[in-house]
Parts: sequence; structure tokens; C-alpha cells
Amino acid sequence: MASADEAAPCIELEALSLRFGALKVLEGLSLTVREREFVSLLGPSGCGKSTLLRAMAGLVAPSGGAVRVCGRDPREGTQGLQLSFMFQKPLLLPWRTTLENVLLPLEIALGGNRASPLDEAKAQRILRRVRLEGFESAYPRELSGGMQQRVALARALVSDPEILLLDEPFGALDELTRDALNEELVRLWLDPQAPLKAVVMVTHSLHEALAMSDRVFVLGARPAGLRETVEVPLAHPRRPESAEFIRLQGRLRALVREPA
Amino acid sequence: MKGARWLVPPGFIVAALLLWEAAVRALHVPAYLLPAPSAILASMDAALFGHFATTLGEALAGFFLASSLAFLAALAFVRSPTLERGLFPLAVTLKTTPLVAIAPLLVLWLGTGWASKVAAAALICFFPVLVNAVRGLKAADLDYRELFRTMNASPGQEFRKLRIPFALPYLYSALKVSSSLAIVGAIVGEFVGATKGLGYLIVLSSSHLETDVLFSAIFAAALAGIAVFQVLGWVERRAVFWQEAQAE
Repeated sequence: MASADEAAPCIELEALSLRFGALKVLEGLSLTVREREFVSLLGPSGCGKSTLLRAMAGLVAPSGGAVRVCGRDPREGTQGLQLSFMFQKPLLLPWRTTLENVLLPLEIALGGNRASPLDEAKAQRILRRVRLEGFESAYPRELSGGMQQRVALARALVSDPEILLLDEPFGALDELTRDALNEELVRLWLDPQAPLKAVVMVTHSLHEALAMSDRVFVLGARPAGLRETVEVPLAHPRRPESAEFIRLQGRLRALVREPA
Repeated sequence: MKGARWLVPPGFIVAALLLWEAAVRALHVPAYLLPAPSAILASMDAALFGHFATTLGEALAGFFLASSLAFLAALAFVRSPTLERGLFPLAVTLKTTPLVAIAPLLVLWLGTGWASKVAAAALICFFPVLVNAVRGLKAADLDYRELFRTMNASPGQEFRKLRIPFALPYLYSALKVSSSLAIVGAIVGEFVGATKGLGYLIVLSSSHLETDVLFSAIFAAALAGIAVFQVLGWVERRAVFWQEAQAE
């Protein structure tokens, strides 16, 4: 990612402020995510990193400043923006099978019509990528937490998003499942055929941030501003036992713990 | 043992009827006070079936009418909070006014035919369906609604693919309650002025001290209530299959 400096901006936040009533969540926060960048938002719990991500998706209105995604304000509708959001919870519809859940965004894009066989083939392909082949006709209640979250990942990817926003996507899962899903996400990200231009992931795990992203934005305590941007100049696959990884981890830990 | 579990409720009913029969015979209770089950059974004839069918038909017509209207009203209320604030108190007033107080008015307006009974049944069904449908349509978590927003779903799509399926468990529990209420409504309507139906038969037989006929009408009304409840329970288990499995 040496050419990251010249790459076009994908998501731009300018002096973003956000408050809920009297509670200031974000204050004067500016950052830019460029094309072909995987970034993480790291910060103490309750610092407003999820709110920041939701502002990128147009789910909350900023009280001040500007959000631009691909040059547009996401509050004016994300139609045609090719943006997918993955939540902490799988949020699968319990009356739909795995395949039907994955097809949901395509059906909605078609105006509520049933998906075509072509769409179904595509959904099947994505389910294979997240290793859920054979579970197409299972209902969510028949799947484990990790599998449910993989269905949610497949659903986020089926519409060929250019921008993927992840809100602690695997935070509720056990460590082994989480590592496996993180590896799959990195594989998808590195796949040259994937149309993904940018991934923004909220996490409170230093390890997760370092294992996956090109840059880590460290946020301060509330009202959150950008405390530091840490570049991660490591090639994939990353080895957590390498000296550089451990050094960066120490640096991030110090930054997150530093009093405001 | 599990296969015989459905036999327990009918078993208890049969035991209670046998006890009743024995008690009436042993204590020589006069038939105008408490007829024996065998006498009640003997009084059941084709005429009773005609009255039963009349009442069931009126009740079902009122039930379907009220449920459809209540669901449409709930959709409108959820889309427009102003409408909900304006009309909900009216619906509450309607609910708290006893049906027996309104029934004579319905007969005055709609005559002694089926229309006043359908209206009475509909009136009593409307409110439970409305309240539960509104609650059900608001039951989908904010998280789910935000998910739909990130997928650019239109409000119509959000209703069809998210809110209505989420409302189904609420809706079916209301439908089960109001289906038996509809039979109450139809019978109350028949009390006031009718020439057929179980309500008419109850009023007529009690004034003639035909207690066996009175009991047969009561049993027929109970049977109608149980039947509609069971049918709806059967439909519910198929329509909200995911809910049942979660409860298990």
C-alpha cells in the first residue's frame, strides 16, 4: 500500500461533531479513508467509534461538519453507493433460510421481487466463500453464532459492495471462531476480483486491528477526537509473533491507555 | 406415554360428564334445574345444528371483517403517529363500552337479521386485533430497521419483508382471542332480537324452562369457541413456524 498517499479518497470526515442531546459523542473529528485501504477504528469502549461508523453509513446525522462517501453525503440515501454495513449482531430474519437471508439485499435492490436464478447462483458462490455450503436451507436457529455471523457476512458481500463498514463484526464470538472469520475476511479483501475499495472496521481488539488493517485510527475518550493514526506496514499473512507486530501492539496499547 | 398426552383433556371431560350423570340420577335433581348429560344429548337435533351454523357464520363474518379492518388501521397507525394519537382514544372508548349496551342500537340500525350480529361480533373483535397488530408492527428492533436502511429498503419493503412477519406472532395471539370473542358478540346480538341462532335458542329455551335445550345451546356455543381457537392455533403453528421452534 505504498501508493496509498496518491489514492483517491473514499470516505472523508471533516470536523465531524455529533451529540445526542447534551451528550457530546464526537468533536471536530477529521479523517480520510482512501481507495484500497482497510482501516480500523480503535478506542476505549463507549468512545463513539460505533457512532462514527454509523455516521459513515448515514444512519445518524452529524451535528456539525461533513461526511462524504465517494464524494456524496450518505444521509441523502446510499442508493447506488454500493455500501454494506455489518452489525455486531447477525440480524438474520428467523423465517428465512440461509440462502433467503443472503438474497435479501438483492431482492430489495430489485424492488422486492424474487431473486433470479442468476442471483441465487451468486449467493451460493458467496456462501461457499464463507464456508457455509450445505447450509443453504437451514434456518438461523439451526446455526451456531459463528455460522450466523458468517451468513451476515455473506449477506453484506452479496451486493458486491465497494465499501464495507463493520461494527465489531465478530466481537460476540469466541476467539477461535473470531480468528478464523478474520482470516476469511482478509482473504476476501485481498482477492483481486472483489470489488471492495475500502473496509472500515470498529474494534476494541488491538490484535484484530493489527492483524487486518493498513491503518489504525486511535480515538480518544468521549467526546472523541482522533488521537493518532498508526500505519501498519506489514504484509499479509501477518505473524502475530513477529517483532514488528509485537512492537506495534505495544504502541497501540500505550495510545489507547494514555489519559486524555 | 407421550403419544397419549392429547387424550388427557378429553379424558377429564368424559370423567366430569359421567360424574354429573351419576350425581343427577342419584340425587333426583329436577330436569328443569339440571338435566343429565344424557338428556341434553337427546335434545340435540338438526334444529340445534341450524342455530349453531347461523351463529358460527355470523361470528366468522364479523371476525374476518373486524380483523381485516383492524390490521389496515394498525398499518395506518404505524405509518402515521398523528393518526394513531387522534384515533386511538376513540378505539379505546369503543372497547370500554360494553357490547350489551350497544347491541340494541345495532338491532335498531341494522334490523333483526344477520347484519346486526355480524356487526356485534366485529365490534368485540376489532380492538384486541388492533392493539396487538400495532404492537407487532412496532416489534422489529431498531437494529433490524437500520439494517434495512443500509440496504436502501423502501418503507413498503420494510413493512412486507420485516415488520409484517415480525408482527405475525402478535397478530395470531390476538386472532385466537378475538375468534372466541366473536362468538360471544354474535350471541349477544342474538339475545337482543333474532329469529335464529344460539343466542335466540338460549333466550327462548330459558323462558320455556327447557333446560336441556338451554344446555345443548351452551355446549354448542362452547364447541364453536373451541373449534375456532383450535383451527387458528393450527394455522398459527404453520404461519409462524420459527416462533414455535424458538419457544421449545
